[in-house]
Amino acid sequence: MKILAHSYVCPKGTYLNGKRVFDTGEEENPFKSAYQQLGVEYPKFYKMDVLSKMAFIGTELLLPFLPKEVDLENDLQLIFANSSASQFTDNLFIDSYEQLNNPSPSLFVYTLPNIVTGELCIRHKWYGENCFFVEEAFNPGHFSEWTQIGLNKGNNVCLCAWVEAKTNGEQECFLFLLTDSEHADNSIELELSTLIKQYRNE
Amino acid sequence: MHKPVYIAPLSLVTPLGNTVGQHIEAFEKGVSGIQIFEKDGFQDTPIALAKRAEISSPNRYDQLLRGALEKAKEQLASKPLENTAVIVSSTKGNVDLLPGDTFAETQAIIHEFFPETDVFIISNACVSGVIAINTAADYLLAGKYDHILVIGIDAVSEFVSYGFQSLFALSNETCKPFDKSRNGTVLGEGCGIVLVTTEKPADFAVLYKGGSSSNDANHISGPSRTGEGLVRSIEKTLKRSGLTAKNIDFVSAHGTATVFNDEMESIAFGRTNLDQVPLNSMKGYFGHTLGAAGVLETIMSIVSMEQNTLFPNLGFKETGTSVPLNVIQRIESKELNTVLKTASGFGGGNASLILQKQS
Repeated sequence: MKILAHSYVCPKGTYLNGKRVFDTGEEENPFKSAYQQLGVEYPKFYKMDVLSKMAFIGTELLLPFLPKEVDLENDLQLIFANSSASQFTDNLFIDSYEQLNNPSPSLFVYTLPNIVTGELCIRHKWYGENCFFVEEAFNPGHFSEWTQIGLNKGNNVCLCAWVEAKTNGEQECFLFLLTDSEHADNSIELELSTLIKQYRNE
Repeated sequence: MHKPVYIAPLSLVTPLGNTVGQHIEAFEKGVSGIQIFEKDGFQDTPIALAKRAEISSPNRYDQLLRGALEKAKEQLASKPLENTAVIVSSTKGNVDLLPGDTFAETQAIIHEFFPETDVFIISNACVSGVIAINTAADYLLAGKYDHILVIGIDAVSEFVSYGFQSLFALSNETCKPFDKSRNGTVLGEGCGIVLVTTEKPADFAVLYKGGSSSNDANHISGPSRTGEGLVRSIEKTLKRSGLTAKNIDFVSAHGTATVFNDEMESIAFGRTNLDQVPLNSMKGYFGHTLGAAGVLETIMSIVSMEQNTLFPNLGFKETGTSVPLNVIQRIESKELNTVLKTASGFGGGNASLILQKQS
């Protein structure tokens, strides 16, 4: 298994393969700024929740690294995880009925973590397999297991993400593309844990 | 050739009871767990729900989980399970833990009954249950574990009730999947546990033949008009199982009883040549149990196979989809060898799996 490319999106900035591509540390609305700097036209971005916005930006940057020979429409699998499910939007939705007396349908539809993968599938016309796990913390061993299982079933590439938006302000999206390689080495787990540490310390 | 993977029901707790026998009785007599609650809706409005009377708020999730785990543990008492993991399927976890993490206590509760097992949680809307069973089988085939308990669970809550009310997705009376007069779903609650294992169980068990998921790539909350994701998932599952539509004896459909979902499913079943196969949705009995649905409905599908019985689609009277389906209206005996279970949900998710009797 090997990493084809990786990206990281957080309020401070957006990074691709270890290099900062957008500096948004000073922005009042960092994800809107990153979206505008991307230069893509996708007005649906504005109605997305934070999880989807971060994943949208990070995924756009990874597109050039998707293998050309693969049937992406069917054989790209999405494996996402976080520790807080849709906590950030859950609390906004509770406010809509407890404080504002008006349960908001547009918030409610984002109170499921897998809406993120749905948004990406809509954007890129991906019909493949999706799964969203909730875990205590980023566990590179699990991502490598899930990807191996997906590849065994005939999927070709996995777009993996640790995407978190908590009510305490923690927001990050670490995306990485995994695919098979001839070398069956275990260094991938170490590589992933090193990468997320480096991104978090930037 | 893959090694065989077996599935056996362990426990289920719903408004209809906490034993398989109680569920068979309710299914035979056409008893529904759905009731109108005069003040449970937003701003004390009436709402139809399938709630388990024996538990109370808050922390209904914890009570359902402990109730089903206790029963599962009894079932497994004689047989210590080594190299076992647990996969939980839930859309929301315990919403009473908000503003904190809704899944914060799930692993600790499971460890009260099954200490030190690895616990995975899948939260993928209403297809979570089917995906969890598929993932369990994949883990076994990869040789990582010998047994996996798959737990499907969701509880009734203000949070989810108000949300579905805000979407105008709920029926004001009862749940009538695929019927002409269906006007929305009814939220239910429950917890079901199945054992997925590579070791042939002593009790009745069926073979897991294959499964898959597919996204509609169409809309985050509305069903696809063409059934594209469900079609692709069914086709992939048939292919992985080495079977065709002709082999399917019964379809346990999702059938939420919203106008658009059931219409989408009918189109997908038409496109996959499954429209004449006897089919039901079980949501008329225990409502839409969200993350529990795939597991509870798989359990009752296995029960149908064991009994060689087609249970009626409670609430159905007249065809109400553009592609007419063979909706089961009367209880009927039929040799059931191969069964397809499907699910569809928010986020454009679709998933399916195939079960087969051991030859």
